Amino acid sequence: MSYGTRGRILRVDLTQASIRIEHFDEAFYRLYPGGKALAGYLLLRELAPGTDALAPENLLVIANGLLTGAPISASTRFTVAARSPLTGAYGESEAGGFWGPELKMAGFDAIVVSGRAAQPTYLSIRDDNIELRDARELWGREPEEVQARIRAELGDKQVRVLQIGIGGENLVRYAALTNELRHFNGRTGMGAVMGSKNLKAIAVRGTGRYVDAVHDAKPIAALGRTLGKRVKEHPQAWDMQVKGTPGLLTVLNAAGMLPTRNFREGVFEGVANLSWETYEKDLLSARRTCYACAIRCKREVKVDDRYQVGDTYGGPEYETVEGFGGNCGVDDLQAVAKANELCNRYTLDTISTSSTIAFAMECFEHGLIGLKETGGLDLRFGNAEAMLKAIDLIARRVGIGDLLAQGSKRAAQVIGGDAPRFAMQVKGQELPMHDPRGKVGVGLGYAIGELGADHLYAAHDTMFANPDSVAFKGAIPLDVAALPVRELGGAKARNYAILENWNSFGNAVGFCYFGPAPRSFIQVDEVLSLVRSATGWDMELADLLRIGERAINLARAFNVLNGFSRHDDVLPERLYQPLESGPLAGAGISKEDFQQTIDELYRLKGWDPQTTAPTRARLRELEIEWVADLLGV
Amino acid sequence: MRLYLGSYLSWYVPQRLSRLEIPLAGPISLMELLAQLKLPPAEISIAAVNGILVPLQDTQVSDGDLVEFHPPVGGG
Repeated sequence: MSYGTRGRILRVDLTQASIRIEHFDEAFYRLYPGGKALAGYLLLRELAPGTDALAPENLLVIANGLLTGAPISASTRFTVAARSPLTGAYGESEAGGFWGPELKMAGFDAIVVSGRAAQPTYLSIRDDNIELRDARELWGREPEEVQARIRAELGDKQVRVLQIGIGGENLVRYAALTNELRHFNGRTGMGAVMGSKNLKAIAVRGTGRYVDAVHDAKPIAALGRTLGKRVKEHPQAWDMQVKGTPGLLTVLNAAGMLPTRNFREGVFEGVANLSWETYEKDLLSARRTCYACAIRCKREVKVDDRYQVGDTYGGPEYETVEGFGGNCGVDDLQAVAKANELCNRYTLDTISTSSTIAFAMECFEHGLIGLKETGGLDLRFGNAEAMLKAIDLIARRVGIGDLLAQGSKRAAQVIGGDAPRFAMQVKGQELPMHDPRGKVGVGLGYAIGELGADHLYAAHDTMFANPDSVAFKGAIPLDVAALPVRELGGAKARNYAILENWNSFGNAVGFCYFGPAPRSFIQVDEVLSLVRSATGWDMELADLLRIGERAINLARAFNVLNGFSRHDDVLPERLYQPLESGPLAGAGISKEDFQQTIDELYRLKGWDPQTTAPTRARLRELEIEWVADLLGV
Repeated sequence: MRLYLGSYLSWYVPQRLSRLEIPLAGPISLMELLAQLKLPPAEISIAAVNGILVPLQDTQVSDGDLVEFHPPVGGG
C-alpha cells in the first residue's frame, strides 16, 4: 500500500560509521506525514533536552514532505531540522530545488544523522546502495567544485548534492545548506550542525518512480498539467515567474514598511537602484525553477561591471536584496548581488548575515565598536565594500567576523552598552525584511514562532485586508476574517492561528508558499484532493490543519523542554517605537495590545500563558498525548 | 500621466508593463482610472500620487502626475 511516503527512514551514525534503515507504518505517517511534522517528532522523541547544538549528540534530521516529488508546482520542499546553534531552540529550515524529490525516488522519507565523523565525510545514497565516503579532499572547497567532484567520483552526473560550504565548516551559527548550488535551507543555522558532524555533503540518486509512492497518481498528474497552464492566467503566479520575489521591494517601500538601516526607517531613498526594473536591466541572466514547478520564480544573475558576479549560485531573492540593500543602507544592486554570491558560496543565511551586519553598522555608528575592533573596516551604513569584506570575515571567522559569526544576540552581549537594543532578533534569530509595524500579524509570528524571528509562519496581514481581493477569496475555505493590517486583538489572533496551522501543514507536505492559499495558485480544495490522492486517506480540511497544529506543538514542546517560556516570545523593543519616516511615520506597535493578543493566541492554542507548555487536553485532541508525559503536564 | 503598477498589477494591463504613460485630457478620479484600465479596485492595497499615499476614493489626478498602484503582497 502506498500513501505518498516511502515508509523508510535512513539512520546514519557518523561516530560509529553505521547505517541502518528503519520502517514506519501507515498509522505513524497519518500523524507525522513528513517535513516539519516528521522532523518535530524525531527531535522531540530522541534528542535529550539541553544537548549542545554543536555537539555530536545533536541530531540532524532531513525530512521530505508528503507531497515532495509530486509532478505538481510548488511542492518540492524538504525540511532540515536540529537543535539550533543560533537560538538553542527547535531549528528548522525548508528548501526547494531538486534534492528532496531525488531522495523520494531513492526510497526514503527522511535521514537522521547522529554523532560526528572522525574526519570529513560525505554520504552517498544511490537507491539502496548507501555508503559513507571520504570528504577530506572536499573540505574547504567551494560548492561548485564539490558538486562536480562528487559527481565525477560517483560517475553519475545526475546525482543531486546537498552540501555545506566554509560557513558550515567553520560553524557560523547561521550557516545554511545548499542543493544544486541555487537552493538553500537558510535559517536557524542547520549548516553549522552539519559542519559540526564533519558531514560535508549528502549525494542522492534515486531511480524509483513517483507513481509507486502514491495511492492514485492519475489525478495528481492531471492537476500538475492544469497548473502548468494556469501560470499565465494567475496574476500572482505570473508575477513570480516574470519578476520573482525581488518585485516585492517597491511595494513595501511605497507602503512605508521597507526595513531601512536596521529597522530604524520604513522608506529607503535608494529604492530605485534596488528595484525590479534595475534588477532586470543590470543583473538578470536567466529564469530558473525547482523540480516540476511551472511558476519558475528563481532568478539567475550575471554581472561584469562594478562587481563581477557569476551565474553559478542563483540570484538574490527579495530578502537578500533588501537585507544587503536598504537595511544596510546600500543602494548598489551589483554590490547586493555580490553579497548574495558570497553568502551562497560560503553557505551563509543571507537574512541573518545581512541583519547581523546591519546591527554591527549601527554599533559602529554609535561608537560601540570602532576601527580597532573592525580591523580598520569602516563599517558605516551604506559602505558596500565594508559590507562585502564583513561577509568574508564572518565566513572565515577572522577578526570582527568571528564575533559576528555568533549572530547579533551573542555579539551584542559581548559588545555591551546599548548594543542589545540594536540587535533586531527574537530568540537569537535575526528579523527578516518585513516590518511588523506595517503588518502586525507578522510580529505575532516573530514573537511566538518556535524558530525565532521568521516571516513564513503565517501569511501576512496585507493579504486579508480586502474581502474582495483574489488573495482573501482564495483563503475563504480556511475561515479567516478580513481585518485591517495594523489591527491587533482576538480576531487577528484567530486569523494568525489558522494561517500558522495552514503554513505548518504546508511544511509537513513540502509546499512552497507560492502555491496554496492565500496566493491560491493551488486552491484549497485542490490541496485536499492532492492529499487524498497521494494517501488514499479520507481526510477533510480540518485534518490538514490539525497536521499543521500538531507539528507546531511538537516544536513548542521541544522549546519548553529546552527552557523557553513566555519571556522568549517577545519583539525587539524598537518595534514598539514609532517609525522615523515615510507613510508609516509615527507608527509603532502598542505593547499592551500586542501582549493581550499574544495571550489570546496562547488561549486559542491551548498553551499555558506562562510556561507556554501545551495542555494535556489539547495534546490529546491532537493525538500526541505522549508529549504531555514528556512535559509533565 | 505616468503610471507605475507594482508586483502583479501589471498582469491586468494588456502590455503587461509596470510603467505606462497615459495621456489625460483633464483631471480624472483614481476610480475612473482603474475602470479605464480594467484594474480591479480590490487588488489595490496602496495608491500613491507623486509619492504621497492617497485614498482610492475621492482622489483626482491630472496629466503630469506620477500615480502608483500596489497590490497586497506577502512574504516569500
